[in-house]
Amino acid sequence: MSQAAPQIKELEDQLHAYLEQSFPQHRMERDKNGDLIIWVERHEFLSMAERCRQDAKIRMDRLSDLTAYDNLDKKDGPERFVLVYQLYSMSQHTRLRIKMRINENESVPTLVPLWRAANWLEREVFDMFGIRFENHPDLRRILMDERFEGFPLRKEYDLQDRQPFPDTLPVRIAGYNPRLADPEDQNP
Amino acid sequence: MAKDGSAGFVPTRLDYAVKWAQKNSLWPMPFGTSCCGIELMSTLSGTYDISRFGAEVVRFSPRQADLLLVAGTITTKMSPVLRQIYDQMLEPKWVIAMGACSSSGGIFNTYSVLQGIDEIMPVDIYIPGCPPIPEGLLFGIMRLQEIVEKGLPRPNMHKLTREEARDAMSYRRAIGENLFEAEKLDATMPLTTKTGEP
Repeated sequence: MSQAAPQIKELEDQLHAYLEQSFPQHRMERDKNGDLIIWVERHEFLSMAERCRQDAKIRMDRLSDLTAYDNLDKKDGPERFVLVYQLYSMSQHTRLRIKMRINENESVPTLVPLWRAANWLEREVFDMFGIRFENHPDLRRILMDERFEGFPLRKEYDLQDRQPFPDTLPVRIAGYNPRLADPEDQNP
Repeated sequence: MAKDGSAGFVPTRLDYAVKWAQKNSLWPMPFGTSCCGIELMSTLSGTYDISRFGAEVVRFSPRQADLLLVAGTITTKMSPVLRQIYDQMLEPKWVIAMGACSSSGGIFNTYSVLQGIDEIMPVDIYIPGCPPIPEGLLFGIMRLQEIVEKGLPRPNMHKLTREEARDAMSYRRAIGENLFEAEKLDATMPLTTKTGEP
């Protein structure tokens, strides 16, 4: 990857210093491109995100991506999943990555009031990993069929386990799950 | 017409004339879902000029098309849509599976991708490649013309019925009966209307 332009690098260093001063209790890293990574605990997450959105010196006004990964090998701590928020400041051209570890049955506060882009991104994370977001306005599957069982990007999901449906009707009309209707599947 | 304007005639057999007309007017319905669609567009362009083979009249209405050109990855969520388009096409109809994905699923042996469109419909020509070059598509169309002209046996001549395609889409034969029960239930639901009922 190419190096950031000198001015942006300066801004990044300023931001790094400011963040270390503002959040001294959090672990901070720089990746090999110089992007800032900040690890946050779940109970501090919402206040941290609000600060990143509203603080005039940070001002991350864009949520460019939100994803997660299955931390099944416990490489990044004892928790099951790691959520990754990619923030971008359009005024300063700086980036910030927030990482948060969560357990399998934990839910996460939604960020839709802060960044409207979070709406569909959180739906995607819910669809693929089954992570629930509190107070999300419309938490439904976005990519897979609504009748789909399981969460395909969890490591325990069999890669080739296809669940085709004979129609594309929304579940309010179709209203059944062929997989559940099959008696062989209920007694594996 | 002869040169002096009088009406001439060419004696021919009707079935020969019909086959000749069919093979030289294979109007395609493009179903391009990924990068194969780009090669398909390239084949339509003046450089490769698919119209030399009478197949340049792209019809986006399946009812006016003779040839379904499936170019790209078909996900399991898309497969009922594709089957419906196939059902809407009028006979005689032919199907070309262009590229590795539509022929066999390609590299995507995953939870969301149909492993070849021949699971839900009969396919006449498979064109290998990822994506195939435009010459490959042209060769496939010429091969299809040969099939049409000579009446060669078509592969997969057993045409899947709609029910069989549904079974294939749900990968289990046993589910078919449950589907029909679900259809009966649907009749009582307000959101679906059956013909003949208000």
